[in-house]
Amino acid sequence: MFSLRGCGRWVAASLAKQHLPPARLSGDSAAPWTPHYDVVVVGGGHAGTEAAAAAARCGSRTLLLTHRVDTIGQMSCNPSFGGIGKGHLMREVDALDGLCSRICDQSGIHYKVLNRRKGPAVWGLRAQIDRKLYKQNMQKEILNTPLLTVQEGAVEDLILTEPEPEHTGKCRVSGVVLVDGSKVYADSVILTAGTFLRGMIVIGLEMHPAGRLGDQPSIGLAQTLEKLGFVVGRLKTGTPPRIAKESINFSILNKQTPDNPSIPFSFINETVWIKPEDQLPCYVTHTNPRVDEIILENLHLNSHIKETTKGPRYCPSIESKVLRFPNRIHQVWLEPEGIDSDLIYPQGLSVTLPAELQEKMITCIRGLEKAKMIQPGYGVQYDYLDPRQITPSLETHLVQRLFFAGQINGTTGYEEAAAQGVIAGINASLRVRRKPPFVVSRTEGYIGVLIDDLTTQGTNEPYRMFTSRAEFRLSLRPDNADSRLTFRGNSSLSLPIRFTLLSDLSHYILSCLLLGYKEAGCVSQQRYERASWMKSSLEEGISMLKSIEFSSSKWKKLIPEASISMGKVLSLRALDVLKYEEVDLELLAKAVPEPLKKYTQCRELAERLKIEATYETVLFYQQQEIKDIQRDEALQLPKDLDYLTLRDVSLSHEVREKLHFSRPQTIGAASRIPGVTPAAIVNLLRFVKTIQQRQAAMNELPKTDHCLCDTDRLEERQL
Amino acid sequence: MWRGLWTLVARAARGPRRPCARQGSGARAPGSGATIFALSSGQGRCGIAVIRTSGPASGHALRSLTAPRELPRARSASLRLLTDPRSGEPLDRALVLWFPGPHSFTGEDCAEFHVHGGPAVVSGVLQALGRVPGLRPAEAGEFTRRAFAHGKLSLTEVEGLADLIHAETEAQRRQALRQLDGELGQLCRGWAETLTKALAHVEAYIDFGEDDNLEEGILEQADSQVRELEVALDTHLRDARRGQRLRSGAHVVVTGPPNAGKSSLVNLLSRKPVSIVSPEPGTTRDVLETPVDLAGFPALLSDTAGLREGQGPVEQEGVRRARERLEQADLILAVLDASDLASPSSCNFLDTVVTPAIARSPNGNSQRLLLVLNKSDLLPPGGPDLSPELPPHLLLSCLTGAGLDGLLEALRKELAAVCGDPSTGPPLLTRARHQHHLQACLDALGHYRRATDVALAAEALRVARGHLARLHGGGGAEEILDIIFRDFCVGK
Repeated sequence: MFSLRGCGRWVAASLAKQHLPPARLSGDSAAPWTPHYDVVVVGGGHAGTEAAAAAARCGSRTLLLTHRVDTIGQMSCNPSFGGIGKGHLMREVDALDGLCSRICDQSGIHYKVLNRRKGPAVWGLRAQIDRKLYKQNMQKEILNTPLLTVQEGAVEDLILTEPEPEHTGKCRVSGVVLVDGSKVYADSVILTAGTFLRGMIVIGLEMHPAGRLGDQPSIGLAQTLEKLGFVVGRLKTGTPPRIAKESINFSILNKQTPDNPSIPFSFINETVWIKPEDQLPCYVTHTNPRVDEIILENLHLNSHIKETTKGPRYCPSIESKVLRFPNRIHQVWLEPEGIDSDLIYPQGLSVTLPAELQEKMITCIRGLEKAKMIQPGYGVQYDYLDPRQITPSLETHLVQRLFFAGQINGTTGYEEAAAQGVIAGINASLRVRRKPPFVVSRTEGYIGVLIDDLTTQGTNEPYRMFTSRAEFRLSLRPDNADSRLTFRGNSSLSLPIRFTLLSDLSHYILSCLLLGYKEAGCVSQQRYERASWMKSSLEEGISMLKSIEFSSSKWKKLIPEASISMGKVLSLRALDVLKYEEVDLELLAKAVPEPLKKYTQCRELAERLKIEATYETVLFYQQQEIKDIQRDEALQLPKDLDYLTLRDVSLSHEVREKLHFSRPQTIGAASRIPGVTPAAIVNLLRFVKTIQQRQAAMNELPKTDHCLCDTDRLEERQL
Repeated sequence: MWRGLWTLVARAARGPRRPCARQGSGARAPGSGATIFALSSGQGRCGIAVIRTSGPASGHALRSLTAPRELPRARSASLRLLTDPRSGEPLDRALVLWFPGPHSFTGEDCAEFHVHGGPAVVSGVLQALGRVPGLRPAEAGEFTRRAFAHGKLSLTEVEGLADLIHAETEAQRRQALRQLDGELGQLCRGWAETLTKALAHVEAYIDFGEDDNLEEGILEQADSQVRELEVALDTHLRDARRGQRLRSGAHVVVTGPPNAGKSSLVNLLSRKPVSIVSPEPGTTRDVLETPVDLAGFPALLSDTAGLREGQGPVEQEGVRRARERLEQADLILAVLDASDLASPSSCNFLDTVVTPAIARSPNGNSQRLLLVLNKSDLLPPGGPDLSPELPPHLLLSCLTGAGLDGLLEALRKELAAVCGDPSTGPPLLTRARHQHHLQACLDALGHYRRATDVALAAEALRVARGHLARLHGGGGAEEILDIIFRDFCVGK
């Protein structure tokens, strides 16, 4: 690894990169020595790191631009990762070979799966994470990623050029301008500005511009985006104060111990780095009426609460809890910030009172009577861009090759950011290589639900993932994220085929003929092989369990522990027996050692077989529905439709406006936009079909015909 | 490729709110593989009613109703005794036809039952079909869409499909409004509320149960709500009275400003003094219904209170009811006083009722409206001096009867269009739909009770809610989140 300091910048490149020129010279338009990358990622938070690493994994020369290298991988808020819904996202990020799950397996200090008693579809993998370790491990990973370069610098502006005629958008981004005036050219740019766009920090009545405590906001960039015509909104969030660990009286508080054994986040890890007995506990305490009083008496000193900037419907701060649910006590979790950290993070106490009142409030809570506040809680208000302005590949409609990921799209949470980061990184890279985008459908993963919700519905509160948002919750489980996504991450074969523009079509034909399908390639060989092995073992195991069939009385004798009912059903498959709550594969294999014993040797396989059995009946029905929806999503709408002026199709003005703003890419997405009627969908379909016919007639190339037929067939097979 | 498109439309057309995606956790229904049935003859007076099925279970349905005999010869009529497969009760002696796919109207296996047209028989057959596993009542335009999906209609024939789906959806909505306007509607709303709340609480328990402190016992509360709902649904489904009187026929609503002569028109059309007529504005205060035969079509004629603001509470209630009835109408007879067109009440009526109704239906596929200018006898004899901006209208004098023939002819055209379309909701079919979805909802609630895994239990509630949403609308995931955030103090 080498690094050089100069001009206030710091460049680090990986060992592997030494063989490559760190940056190639850009074309004639640029001054000599102006660096040129395939992908430039702006921001080094959870979206930025994932985006940069994913782009590099896909084979793009990538530059990560951040205000400060030492804040890469910073956990700016809570010292934890995962949870219900969020754990699902992490598993999916991992299935695409993303970083955060693996880093968490190396940096956690308290691993605990939530919802253990509520069914495996809604288990929430979660861990308290050592902030310092996470940052260290993340930086090590980022700085050692082949093809990935890191540079310090604040981006002030975008370099824009003429749009590519074969794509929509009014211009194309071709690089960024830094604060010092220097330029970096790039074929794709990903913005992951987090809360930095016109970020304002609020404590009490004080407000000052900052993206995060101690960091400058990005104002120039925000202005650039607004000037380009992006619709900007404003959101707010907050973080609690930090408390000195030794000043807390833990002995009188309820203790929560970690799981034993710890369940790792990543599919490729068997265990985590730390033994359960070495992990740290969490503690829980509660607020009391005195806390309510302090908050209510001092509302006039609390501008974050008074401001009209939209907050979420849920209760992000202790103030909102007290205001909306008065006369209750609220939980406060005391979470360790690190294995050797002397700070405690009081989750549930996010507050923006003036600092001295925060301390006063803290000390009236049980166990915190003598607590010392090390850093006050604060609120952040920041710009976000209406996410209906981006496509499901996270590219903006307005500016070609410009991608947005993370809080800039109105989400909240590390995991939501990481999930978008991976997708933006993969797509920025695919875009450079002129390959079709990589889109995860809402039938395939929480990542798909997240992005589909954002791009079709928009959001006016910080969007957070909940399992209740996923209609196919029983299919999109943490245990099977690899089967759902790893194969897609490895290859673009199963991508829906899209002919959105005629040029795309000819390009597709070319790539079919000349190149064949090339891998999207964001997944390592090791992961791919592991997932393949697991998938085939599962399939084999399930068909084996289906093939073993005995009478219920025989099962009763074989497994007396099971409460098998002697009802009408005479014979039962082993799979049906495995559905009983008290039966696991171990027990079943004891009863029928041949051929089931071998499936118990891998613990994960045995558990996953049990889970598949639990949901078998419902999954059968869900698969039918999923197929129906995927069929709609394979129906692409032309990207270059001008809905406002389109004359050949009868659509109401309201529907036109909605379609114009969200620019849905598929009929499926269009039909999910609120206010787009079934009749409008039929009219759209008819219109698209008519122009397709016209185009086909105009291009009576025998090859085209041939390929179209193939596509038809391919699609049918796929569906 | 075109072939695949149409399952989508099928789903899209199930309602203005999409079953898939966000709405989706709610309104789900069997996919395109389901077998559908519907009454496919219109509402006009007829001796024979035709009930059609389409889909893979058509053959099974045919055999279920005709006792386990061989399927009849393809495409030729045979006489069979139809019996209820569950009770064994004879339903009717009917002609049945069997059209194995692909040589059928939709391209799928189809069956037709030509039964005697009485409501009891039709209702009995529809209910019997609803009980055959794999069958469900058709959604608006679904037969046509299936035909298209299987290449039985050309692209040009499909030109009108969007309009058709729109019209059918609208008609079904109006029909549902009528059905839901009353006791059953209130029950349905109540059930949907209870179920949505129970689901929201189970979802909250899943998404927030451990990290945030939800109150104790929310799951138990949801359990008892679901149990109560099960009892209520079960009681309702067993209730032999079946709730409501079915109001069949095209709904024709007479409306207009006060004292335009609406009641006179109703009396004229029904040829009996249904409504009290007086020169005093605001005489009619409630909705008066009378079944009539209009130009050969069965119709339900409603006389309503004159639309005006600011009178006494009784009249205001009358006006509210009038507006409500207007929403449900298949055909609106808008009556104005021809000698009083310049008055504020006439202008206001033209602006707020007539113009929007005409504007809403550029293709004549929405609500139909006939504008009648009454009291033509009061117009100066030198020919009517009417503003050219008036929409198309008919002149009539209820007093002299002049213009009545023209009106009846116009009515005949409009009603032929309304009644010829089977989807304008034979109430029997609507009732079959209700029963089907209520039963499916009840079945899903049973799965909830038996589930040991909370995620599975929640899934059962989602399915149950989907079925209620088909009757009542709603069903989005956002609605659930709204309740969660309203009822619980959650969030970090």
